[in-house]
Amino acid sequence: MKFLPLVWSGIWRKPWRTILIFLQVSVAFALFGVLQGLKTGVQQAVDAARADLLLVHSRLSSLTEGLPISLLEPIRSVPGVRVAIPVELFGGYYQKPEQGVGIVAVTPDKDWTAAFTYTIAPEYLAAFARSRTAALVKDLTAEKYGWKIGDHIPLKSNKMQKNGSGDWAFDVVGIFTDSDVGGGRYIIIINLPYYDEARATGTGTVNHFNVAVTDPKVAVSVADAIDRISSNSSHETKTESLRELAQQQVQQIGDFDFLIRAVVGAVLAALLFAIATMMVQSVRERTSELAVLKTLGFTDRAVFLLILAEAITVCIAGAALGLALATAAMPIAARFVPGLSMPKITLAIGLACAVLVALMSAAVPAALAGRLKVAAALAGR
Amino acid sequence: MNFLRQSLALLCLNLKGLTARAGAVLTILIGVTCTVGVLVSMLAMGTGVHRQALGNVRDDIATVSGRGAGGLDSSIPRDEATAVADLPGIARGSDGRPLISYQSVVIIEGRRRGTGVRVFFPLIGTSSNVTQMRPEMTFTAGRMFHPGLHELVASNPCIRTFTGFELDARRAVRGVDWTVVGHFDQGNSMQCVALTDAETLMTVFSRNAFTEVSVRLKSPADFEAFRAALEGNPALHLEAKRERDAVEEGFKRFSALLNFAAYFVGAIMAVGATLGAVNSLYSIVDARRRELATLRAIGFGSGAIVVATLAESELLALPGALLGAALAWVFFHGMAVSPFGYSFRLDVTSQLAAIGIAWALAMGLVGGLLPAWRAGRVPVTTALRAA
Repeated sequence: MKFLPLVWSGIWRKPWRTILIFLQVSVAFALFGVLQGLKTGVQQAVDAARADLLLVHSRLSSLTEGLPISLLEPIRSVPGVRVAIPVELFGGYYQKPEQGVGIVAVTPDKDWTAAFTYTIAPEYLAAFARSRTAALVKDLTAEKYGWKIGDHIPLKSNKMQKNGSGDWAFDVVGIFTDSDVGGGRYIIIINLPYYDEARATGTGTVNHFNVAVTDPKVAVSVADAIDRISSNSSHETKTESLRELAQQQVQQIGDFDFLIRAVVGAVLAALLFAIATMMVQSVRERTSELAVLKTLGFTDRAVFLLILAEAITVCIAGAALGLALATAAMPIAARFVPGLSMPKITLAIGLACAVLVALMSAAVPAALAGRLKVAAALAGR
Repeated sequence: MNFLRQSLALLCLNLKGLTARAGAVLTILIGVTCTVGVLVSMLAMGTGVHRQALGNVRDDIATVSGRGAGGLDSSIPRDEATAVADLPGIARGSDGRPLISYQSVVIIEGRRRGTGVRVFFPLIGTSSNVTQMRPEMTFTAGRMFHPGLHELVASNPCIRTFTGFELDARRAVRGVDWTVVGHFDQGNSMQCVALTDAETLMTVFSRNAFTEVSVRLKSPADFEAFRAALEGNPALHLEAKRERDAVEEGFKRFSALLNFAAYFVGAIMAVGATLGAVNSLYSIVDARRRELATLRAIGFGSGAIVVATLAESELLALPGALLGAALAWVFFHGMAVSPFGYSFRLDVTSQLAAIGIAWALAMGLVGGLLPAWRAGRVPVTTALRAA
């Protein structure tokens, strides 16, 4: 502890140099934090995805192929199924094509919300069940387009009504939030029975079924049982939990793992070298000062640790600032990749990396300082 | 003239002294190398996507889709699709029939070789004259599918990436067994594409509308006439685009995302490396204070010293840029990646190398400014008296 002032004065011997190194470390760790946080944040989002919610969709393609609504009763009779709700998805836009809205049509049967990740207040649910043209609006959607409860919202879609028009209109009866980070950002919920009657094509088919199981442990066997219902038919199904779906998405972007590792590696390598040369330079300039310290009785080890302590202090301070910047930037990044946040483990790894970089880069200069021969150094040799 | 001569002489002097300051030089070199290497490699993704997407594009092909809907959302009723064949400007094949192909796209799932990970790829129903439309399509094994049979042909990347695409392999799609009867290459595309007969596919999927219609024009110049006729016809709710524009539109967001990521990471790394360069240059200038003061004392102007130091900074940044671009080329050029299920090869071009070099020179300039300023203002008397 008593050596702290000594370390401190060593750091501020050349303030400009220290500030530049400090900034360089900060920049490097800000990048480290953003990239590493992206990776870990995505992994955490996957782990948070619900394992007890199953999606039953066509084995061919979850997007373009529908399933007959007649599958609903057989699915409901599978043991372990708590709630099963048919869901149709289609796209529309509000006022202009750039303002897209995802439309989720559901049958509001008893307890239907149990099969979704949505949180909806009971009074909104009641209002939704009462009116055929009712719409529940996700908080982000309402915020983006300025919709309020009671508004009548006109939407355009390439899904036609029976009269050949692509104009649809719904009444906002409530606002909801979605805990699934992979869910659509700008979505509204409407009544499937109404939509199914009004639409020109596709009547009687739905995009998928949402199924809530009684216990996450039986999810796999329930999924298999559901898929057996339609095996060898023209509309085979594939049932997966939200967590499995999230895992697949992460595997698809797998190549980015390698990229992130490569970039972080390059950043840390460049940093290592920059700090090492600066420390060597610093030790060389201070040869006579260090020799005086040794003359006063400082051991080789003490001088070695002194130099090391300087590097570690600057690195940790820089890394802390950088990681703080990255944490502050995360809410902005979350606008593009929903659900991102800075995991604490990334902060810990970052600080550990900072110490490691400091130790590796300062090892040579510190050893040089430690091995200094007093007489030779003082003589300027 | 005198100013230039002074600057040049000083620059030579600076460069000769560099060997004694290996640490500082290496810091700049490694910093710039890492930054340019990362920037060029990441930009190579955007270029790779672009090159692959546009690699097989022909100027004389026009794409027709439903108005206001691109990609899989597009839907073209049969009667409208048939009417397209009567429009002006369409080239005719050897049999005298118009060169037009009707496409119906479904997305089906494949399993990746080895890992078994599920990946989606398009199964495109098309007309069998597709080989006339696309001369770059060459069969490496087997034959074309026969219309009316449940047969499909697959591009070679499918066979490399997914299971179940060997010749005579059977794939169950929508309760029907489809036989793989041919393998083909299409230019430099790395993307897995499976083709089959559009009518057969639409029957199996009980569809009544095509996704897209492509026509081969007599010449690229006929496009405007074709489009005017198509969009002027009140019975058709369709729009025509040159194939290049249609493809670019589809990839705009993806390449923009990749390029944004590249410049974002590149910019942050550049800031870090520039800070390192400033530090190194400062230490070089500091170590030469007496030398600089002496030069000033014997008549060198401070402007010449500033210019010489800046030039030195640029010259130090340059090898790092070349090395970084070279490393990116050696390690990543042609590397196959498939983020988001889209496969392509990284493409390190001379253009990207030029961007990397420009990036490095900017870093050298910014990094050199403050140290050069300091070098030009070394106070002659105090610096000579000190030490």
